[in-house]
Amino acid sequence: MYRKKILAAALTVLAVAACGANDQKPAGGQAAKAEKGGTLFILSEGKTQNYDPAKSSSLAITSLGLVHRRLTGWLNAEGKEAKVIPDLADTGKASDDGKTWTFALKEGQKFHDGTPITSADVKWGVERSFAPAFSGGLGYHKQLLVGGADYRGPFEGKELDSIETPDAKTIVFHLTRPYGDWPWIASMPAFAPVPKGKGAEPDYSEHPFASGPYQVAEYKKGVEVKLTRNPSWDKATDEIRGGLPDQILIKLGLDASVVSQRLVADSGDDQFAFGSSFASPAQLSQIQTNASAKQRLVTSKTGALAYLALNTQKGPLANPKVRQAFQYAVDKSSYQIASAGNAALAGEAATTLITQGIAGREQFDLYSAPPNGDQEKAKKLLAEAGFPNGLENLDFVFNKDNNYTEKAQAVQAALLKAGIKVNLRPLESDAYEAETSLAKDAKYDLTLASWQPDFPSANANIQPLFQSSEIGGGGYNISRYNNPAVDKLIEEAQATIDPAEAGKKWAAIDRKILEDSPVVPLIYTRNSFLHGSKVGDFFIADFPAYPNYLQVGITK
Amino acid sequence: MLRRDRWAFAGAVTIVLIGLVALGGTALTALAGQDPYTYHPEALDPQTGGPAGLLGGISGTHWFGVEPLTGRDLFAIVVHGTRTSFLIGLAATALSVVLGVLIGAAAGYLGGWTDRIITWVADVFLGFPYLVFMIAIGLVAPPSIPKQVLLIVVIGFFGWPSVARIVRAQTLTLKKRSFVAAARVLGASPWQVFRTDLLPNLWAPIIVVATLSVPGKIGLEAALSFLNVGVPPPTPSWGRSIFSAIQWVATDPMYLIFPGAALFLTTWAFNVFGDGLRDAIDPKGGVR
Amino acid sequence: MTKLVATRLAGMLLVLLTVAFCTFVVFYLVPSDPAQLACGRPCTEQNLALAREFMGLDESWWQQFLDFLTGIFAGRTFGTGATAIHCAAPCFGYSFQQNTDVVTLIADRVPVTFSLAFGAAAIWLVFGVGLGVLAALRKDTPIDRITLAGSVAGVSAPVYLVGLLGILLFGFTLDVVPVGGYVAFAESPLDWAWRLILPWCVLAFAHAAFYVRLVRSSMLETLNEDFIRTARAKGVRESTVVGKHALRNVLLPVVTLVGIDLGGLLGGAVITESVFSLPGLGGLLIDAVHQRDLPLVLGCTLFAGFLVVVANTLVDLCYGVLDPRARLT
Repeated sequence: MYRKKILAAALTVLAVAACGANDQKPAGGQAAKAEKGGTLFILSEGKTQNYDPAKSSSLAITSLGLVHRRLTGWLNAEGKEAKVIPDLADTGKASDDGKTWTFALKEGQKFHDGTPITSADVKWGVERSFAPAFSGGLGYHKQLLVGGADYRGPFEGKELDSIETPDAKTIVFHLTRPYGDWPWIASMPAFAPVPKGKGAEPDYSEHPFASGPYQVAEYKKGVEVKLTRNPSWDKATDEIRGGLPDQILIKLGLDASVVSQRLVADSGDDQFAFGSSFASPAQLSQIQTNASAKQRLVTSKTGALAYLALNTQKGPLANPKVRQAFQYAVDKSSYQIASAGNAALAGEAATTLITQGIAGREQFDLYSAPPNGDQEKAKKLLAEAGFPNGLENLDFVFNKDNNYTEKAQAVQAALLKAGIKVNLRPLESDAYEAETSLAKDAKYDLTLASWQPDFPSANANIQPLFQSSEIGGGGYNISRYNNPAVDKLIEEAQATIDPAEAGKKWAAIDRKILEDSPVVPLIYTRNSFLHGSKVGDFFIADFPAYPNYLQVGITK
Repeated sequence: MLRRDRWAFAGAVTIVLIGLVALGGTALTALAGQDPYTYHPEALDPQTGGPAGLLGGISGTHWFGVEPLTGRDLFAIVVHGTRTSFLIGLAATALSVVLGVLIGAAAGYLGGWTDRIITWVADVFLGFPYLVFMIAIGLVAPPSIPKQVLLIVVIGFFGWPSVARIVRAQTLTLKKRSFVAAARVLGASPWQVFRTDLLPNLWAPIIVVATLSVPGKIGLEAALSFLNVGVPPPTPSWGRSIFSAIQWVATDPMYLIFPGAALFLTTWAFNVFGDGLRDAIDPKGGVR
Repeated sequence: MTKLVATRLAGMLLVLLTVAFCTFVVFYLVPSDPAQLACGRPCTEQNLALAREFMGLDESWWQQFLDFLTGIFAGRTFGTGATAIHCAAPCFGYSFQQNTDVVTLIADRVPVTFSLAFGAAAIWLVFGVGLGVLAALRKDTPIDRITLAGSVAGVSAPVYLVGLLGILLFGFTLDVVPVGGYVAFAESPLDWAWRLILPWCVLAFAHAAFYVRLVRSSMLETLNEDFIRTARAKGVRESTVVGKHALRNVLLPVVTLVGIDLGGLLGGAVITESVFSLPGLGGLLIDAVHQRDLPLVLGCTLFAGFLVVVANTLVDLCYGVLDPRARLT
């Protein structure tokens, strides 16, 4: 693994510097320090910008965090492992073996209209996320809170009794089972405060009650969102947000290629802008040939796990030995090229399920092979498993978005060399979901997917993808991996409160699952973002592979 | 007139040549020592993932250069893409012509309610954003149906109204002619009249319409590939290449130029040939 | 006359209804679940059922279609109580994904598509008719031949290909025109025109080719007719002969073609818009299809169909005005 990195470095010196392989900064690129003041522009492809915490699946460090604070937050800094840290409250205390969690809110925190933020407002916010009208956000808490399974939100007149607010500064959660990662769950969008009794209107997402450094001053549907300073926000109570720019303008509905062209050109207001989506391979290729743009490209060190999922319940793939053959058959190097043009921009080849930058991760490689794969070994394994002539007519579905067409073809070509013939079947996003995550009986044999945990814990890496409860019905166990032993280990690890101890358990599960080979880890996908020349403090920490919106500012 | 014919001749020669390429594509690319599926990472620029070298990586090995990110041989892709375009374009045309002739002749000959209903249905078709419909059908159809067949059926099916319109107009004129009227009086069934009296007189306009509608069908196949409901990868298709080339236009224009030129040449050839045919059959004829 | 208008209107409505129905049925069959986007992560069966119920997707397909139709006249309400969403009549559906009713979404995109279509039409009419007349008057001269060859090329080249080559040549290599993006007319008329100039020219090039051929051939035909010969023989000036008598005859097919072309374009030039990254109706429709935003798909389809039908009707009416003979039928 390490040798490979050096090889890539030799090929593309500058690109690796930009990736910060050893936490080095490219010369001159972003040395300038951001200062207070100015207007920051965010160029977005999305047609809407959602500021309704209940409906949001926004990371703790991106756009939603500018307007809303949450119960807890993420330590997000370069070179530091992600950690749960206080936001509105402390990081919580467990009792009752981890089934009860108590958080204490800090003093002197207010909404933008000056009313104090109380524990009742946090409770209301969480309850609100259960309302059918406001579903769609991250909902890990919904199954964990006692009585959550059939609760329909506070607008029908009922409270959720498992959330207690003994006083204005204390909030207590009662869970159905011990859950060590609850402080992480408390950093999810639904744990942002909504003033008790408010937020019934369908367009709350466009004029929410702000608790963060900014408030939504103006929302022009499909065109622009204007964030201005929240006068009631006090930097002294907030260790997560910089709150540097005076104003933030989010431009909506822009075409990806237009955003890229504008940021490359770096003229006018675009100097103060960054793009919210990551650059495509073609854009990266163009940026590589432009010295100025190349300096303004920030690539994450690591990122989401891209993997080839093998349907463990179908045909020859039910045989672990056959599945292991795939570990050797894939060509991770051509996958990297298809993803981003070169290995340094695409991300390192992956061998584990827990992604880099997650506490407790252990690096190992059960199926070590050269970057191009070892197709002979794959053939041998297939022969041993009773398929001396290889496999034929495997159904390989993939989502046609995000360059998967190119990536799937790269996988297809490599598998062919190992005697595995697959038929590609590109699908639209939601037809893809219908056939994979939602399907009761799956028709596919193989599919490509990518998973970035919703919170930086190995739990969020593994449980959604490999617990048998996540097969079909919307769950993401698309290798349809069903191993009762692993299910039990996952539950045990989830119940472990001490993070270090839990980390060890997760690492063991990682290894155990890969021995069964339900998926082939491909790469830890790096994301690259382009920003204007007057944007400072634009960085991407180890997790997540997205820039920290809360610290970005304008340079003088 | 002579000049016109010369153009038409050039068009015919081009069509034949492209047809030969479509048939003998595999042999032709084998001659170049290439196929459209093999990855050639060594032909890529390690820094950008684009083709290494000038003009999209044109060289003695890769005559048209290579595809970005994969290094697959662009010459092989374009040559094999001919087959996709030709097959779908011609078969879809055949389908829409058969449908259009039958429906149009029925409308013109039978008249009355048949005519009214058919005209109305044609109106519905024309008012329909058919691209959307095609996408939806691509999603509904079971994966066991080959995409090529599906494309032919869908493109062909939506093409009948324009053919039917012309055939209907022609039939209306023919209907007034004495030999058709005579056959009718003698008690010939509509099918007999269609076969013995109408069809022989419809051949000329049908051939012209068919030739002139091939380019549209080929273009439509390319457009559907753009919307990602065309033939599945890795089967080469000009449309898919052209539309993946959009992203690369700034850095690797040759990726657009070659498949684009092939598509243009084909549609051009059919158009000039069709024009020539029409002039030969009906020198005074309208344009559309 | 009233009866004619009434039957035409009824026919129009029937066409639109059929279009809506077909679209609805086909998209209803598509294996997907719009509620899934409102399900959140992790998506449990319960969440999914709640989302379906809220969006009215738990009802039978014909009930959903009837809801859609009644909504047009009576408006609709989704959900109940404090959190209900109201969509006032005429309600062509509500896009849960964009949190906006469909009418507003379409209205937002109309200026872009209409700017594109009318601007391009102006250019292609001027050049198409002008060159067509010129070619007819200079028959068999080099001008005629060049025009004809150019028009075959224009007819043959798909719009997207011309568009892409235009971007490549004028946008990147020569760097004389901006590539992509739209600026509202109200914001800056100059920028508006400047940003649209390339898409206009590309669309116009593809369309003008047809007009050149059409005008040329019908002009030639007309010039051979008796009344023109008589006029010439009587010593009427050539410019009057061409401008007043011949051109008027040529106008008829041109109007037909303009009607059909504009009807199609105004509903959204899907591919042109996507090539030039213009946020028009075509893009709205395709995005809606990709995201399976059924209410929006239905709304856009109906709007596009409506424009085509209206264009066809207008063409028929123009026929009546331009050609007295057609009025009788």
